Amino acid sequence: MIIKDVVCPFCGCLCDDLDVEVEGQKVIKVQNGCALAEAKFTGSGRLPAPIRRTPTGWDDVSYDDAIRETAEILVAADRPLLYGWSSTHGDAQSMGVHIAELIGGVIDNTSTVCHGPSILAIQEVGHPGCTLGQVKNRADVIVYWGCNPTEAHPRHMSRYTTFATGFFVPEAQKDRTVIVVDTRRTESAEIADEFIRIERGGDYEVLSALRAIVRGKGNVVPKMVAGVSREQLFRVAEICKKAKFGAIFFGLGLTMSAGKYKNVRNAIELTDELNRHTKFTISPLRGHGNVYGSNEVFTWITGYPYAVDFSRGIAFYNPGETTAVDILRRGECDAALIVASDPGAHFPHAAAAHLAKIPTVLIDPHMTATTPLCRIQIPCTIAGIDAEGTAYRMDGVPIRYRKVITSSYPDDADILKKIHDRIREVQGS
Amino acid sequence: MKAILNTGRTVPQGEAVEHKASPTYRAVVSVCYMNPVDLMELGITEGAHVAVTSRTGRIVLTTWTSEGVSRGEIFVPLGPYANHIIAPETHATGMPDFKGETVDIVPTDEPVKDVGSLMEEIGGLRYDH
Repeated sequence: MIIKDVVCPFCGCLCDDLDVEVEGQKVIKVQNGCALAEAKFTGSGRLPAPIRRTPTGWDDVSYDDAIRETAEILVAADRPLLYGWSSTHGDAQSMGVHIAELIGGVIDNTSTVCHGPSILAIQEVGHPGCTLGQVKNRADVIVYWGCNPTEAHPRHMSRYTTFATGFFVPEAQKDRTVIVVDTRRTESAEIADEFIRIERGGDYEVLSALRAIVRGKGNVVPKMVAGVSREQLFRVAEICKKAKFGAIFFGLGLTMSAGKYKNVRNAIELTDELNRHTKFTISPLRGHGNVYGSNEVFTWITGYPYAVDFSRGIAFYNPGETTAVDILRRGECDAALIVASDPGAHFPHAAAAHLAKIPTVLIDPHMTATTPLCRIQIPCTIAGIDAEGTAYRMDGVPIRYRKVITSSYPDDADILKKIHDRIREVQGS
Repeated sequence: MKAILNTGRTVPQGEAVEHKASPTYRAVVSVCYMNPVDLMELGITEGAHVAVTSRTGRIVLTTWTSEGVSRGEIFVPLGPYANHIIAPETHATGMPDFKGETVDIVPTDEPVKDVGSLMEEIGGLRYDH
């Protein structure tokens, strides 16, 4: 059976035009998707049943026992950390926030090591963004800054920018000018009309130089700025000013390099300057399929997009203090619930090591690098494959994940609901 | 040789990301992309192993040539290998320096460890059923 218009849950593009061929309860073929989508839908190797770590190995355990033990661990903790949430749907994220509130824990999502700094910058100066549909149909100048969509968002260029025809840009490659800014000559740089190669850590300086030129103060710009010639900066500023509609997309080259959220703030302020000449927008290229959704759901419920601390009985937010890496590196949490993410692989090990010292519970369909660090792992459905639910695309558009196969695994939202209810029973509330 | 460590996504890393215990995942995330001139300066060829040491750890990686990587930099796909040597300080932002760790690189004959071994080094216990 071929199911049409399936949504890919891998990255923030949430491509919704996949044709997925299903045989029995297995996906055998994916059409229209990128290599990442195909690997996601046809992957195997899921953890068959809940497991519990023993002093010498691992034992299988029932779902009921795993859920009961998880609730007991969380209730007994003084400073529990609930982390992850970006590879699942909104209902699971929502239930996670309710558990955090119930136990006075800290809840953080993967934007903490992704576009968290972008959110901090947006909170300072705002977000002149737009939907990807606007970019596809209007943008004649595209800037990719500190990102490599060819590898991280493989269909971004073909669906929305470089290779996509739009209402006002009928001949994509002729009508659109693509500028790539990076420290590496990446595959994305190879297909750009203009490649600006900057020295590592030079983003803030180059953004400041462009702002000065666009503002008419180009005389203060020296011959070279972080490895970029004055001539190239003036040329690029002119391309941007002459655009009918420009769109900047930025990645972790800005959020993870020296300067972090200040880099992003400077990029937003460059966009502001460009809007004195033409229409220009800026948006982050979000990584996990539903990382944007975790920010949305956290914000609806708590007022804050990530790093929310309920230990005071109210929602408190202070990135740098209440962020997951900081709590782990300080050895502060005494229990952890990890859902739909893999800090064992993606956190500095000096921080992730703390997960092995405390009772850590992992709710995830696969054996991950966090599995060896946890005390209990509970396998669940994969949102967008054997579970439906709501996710948010990188531009904030909500899209409904479809369920393409049926499995015997429970939905992570249902597992979390049972943990939540058990906690309430134990607390006597 | 001193270098700056840059990390990021690659398509092979993304394809194997849900198979963390597999030899494929190990092969695609334990790669150290280097400028060919830097490789020559170290006196090794593509495919040789290097020990990469930072202030917080040491890891053995397989070298791979990349003209796109600047001299004095290395690129390692995000994952447990890169994170074995990245410091956890966030400078009050929540975000570690995933793109800017200073490292020291020397050629080595040591093998590349598997992910299970890395996790056991930090207190974990591999699950290989």
